Amino acid sequence: MPREAEPSLNERQFILQALQENLRLDGREFDQYRPLELTFGDQYGVADVTLGKTRVLAKASAEVTVPYVDRPLDGIFNIATELSPMASPAFEVGRPTETEVLLSRLLEKTVRRSGALDTESLCLVAGQKVWSVRVDVHVLSHDGNLIDAACLAVVAALRHFRKPDTSMESGILTVYTPAEREPVALSWLHSPFCVTWSYFGDEGEIALLDATWREEQVRVGSCTISLNRHGEICQIAKLGGTPVEAVTLLQCTNTALTKVKEFSSFLDKKLAEDIKRRDKGGLMAELSAENDR
Amino acid sequence: MAAEHPLVLPGDTIDPSLIPTHKKQPLRLGPGLRHNPPSTILPTVAGQLVTDLRKNSMWVEYNGGRYIPSQGDLVIGQVARSATDLYFVNITPYTANASLPHLSFEGATKKTRPQLLPGALVYARVTLANRHMDPELECVSATTGRAEGLGPLTGGMAFDVSLGLARRLLMARSREEGGIEVLEQLGAEGLAFETAVGRNGRVWVSSDSLKTVVLVGRALTETDEKGLGVEQQRKLVKKLIREMR
Repeated sequence: MPREAEPSLNERQFILQALQENLRLDGREFDQYRPLELTFGDQYGVADVTLGKTRVLAKASAEVTVPYVDRPLDGIFNIATELSPMASPAFEVGRPTETEVLLSRLLEKTVRRSGALDTESLCLVAGQKVWSVRVDVHVLSHDGNLIDAACLAVVAALRHFRKPDTSMESGILTVYTPAEREPVALSWLHSPFCVTWSYFGDEGEIALLDATWREEQVRVGSCTISLNRHGEICQIAKLGGTPVEAVTLLQCTNTALTKVKEFSSFLDKKLAEDIKRRDKGGLMAELSAENDR
Repeated sequence: MAAEHPLVLPGDTIDPSLIPTHKKQPLRLGPGLRHNPPSTILPTVAGQLVTDLRKNSMWVEYNGGRYIPSQGDLVIGQVARSATDLYFVNITPYTANASLPHLSFEGATKKTRPQLLPGALVYARVTLANRHMDPELECVSATTGRAEGLGPLTGGMAFDVSLGLARRLLMARSREEGGIEVLEQLGAEGLAFETAVGRNGRVWVSSDSLKTVVLVGRALTETDEKGLGVEQQRKLVKKLIREMR
């Protein structure tokens, strides 16, 4: 395992002292996120999230396969994360580090277990053919706060993705190519987002949002709260670290709700812009084979 | 600027008219150039070819990502651990450590030597650097025996900058040759701070006021990331001072 670059004693002391004087190294507020950018690819299902210098790319894809034996009516949904050495020399290919394991567990609990994607709608022929949707998350650059960026990228990619249209006639399943019929969106129930808080100080009294890599090395505890804009909490993960006052945690959750509402409207806006960009000449309404219910 | 310093890529042939000639001194090749006898000079990195007619030398200015130690460079290292009579100091992350003898500090004897904890920062000079061995450092000038600014750095904050910016900061006439005036401008605005620049891409800044250190750090990192010229640096400094007040 390559030697992890630890911050020096001077840096540690300085960051803590500066936080006690309400100063962050890049001049942000304690609950301010870095500039967030989201771009979609030309292909459906590709989302590129940039949060300051952290950059995460998520790609959604689907294929027809047999379902799991114990769940014949559900489709398959997997999220695969990859931290390549491109993001940081501390990562190695093929050997998951602690960061990677935590990241994939949190994404799993947030997006998969909360039922954001309706897996029953992925079923084509009960017990024989289902859609298997897979999201690949690639971390291109690691400057802290991978969890929030990765969750946003996964949700954006899935909402942007279009699966090929299908029809079932007398026992024969036909899957149409994008040229024959316009692909349809996935059945999406709610959009969960992650908000990660980092704690500093002997009793975890200072709480920061969106820590950079350096701040992450110096923190004494962290808590990731996943919720959607309606305030429904998917999970709260505080894995070890310094104990934090319960009141602080409640305040963190409240602020997290505000941030999630901002993320939600940001994502809606970007998706709407993307649809407008693709829909030149207003032909989308005519090409789509979806019926209004 | 581009006309005087053409861009070269590794393996390019150099226009013979660019190679300086001198009546008495032989041609000296600096970093980034390699001599293939009898008469071929090849660049080994991508950058701008710079020639000095007075000293009859030429070299390539490049901005690499990873620091390769060379003898005589001043670097800021981080102590990794301590052995019997050596400190292991890390100057480039994710590479082997350099060694710094315990006695290589000003006025150090076996009984009175500085105790450096792992994670401490030191300002040192590279004494030995080649491809085959781990680099070696010293914190005292070998000829005079005095520190001359080298040694442990206490307090303050270390910022990471690109190698190109570190080199330009270390130039004797940084404004004319390197286009960096941001530190002088910050000082002219009334901020009091001290800095140490390591050629390995780290800058240490210390001041009595924490706000000053944060400001200097932000000015340096923004100058670096956006590649600002002297005028733009002035505007950046004014903007940061306004935000602080």
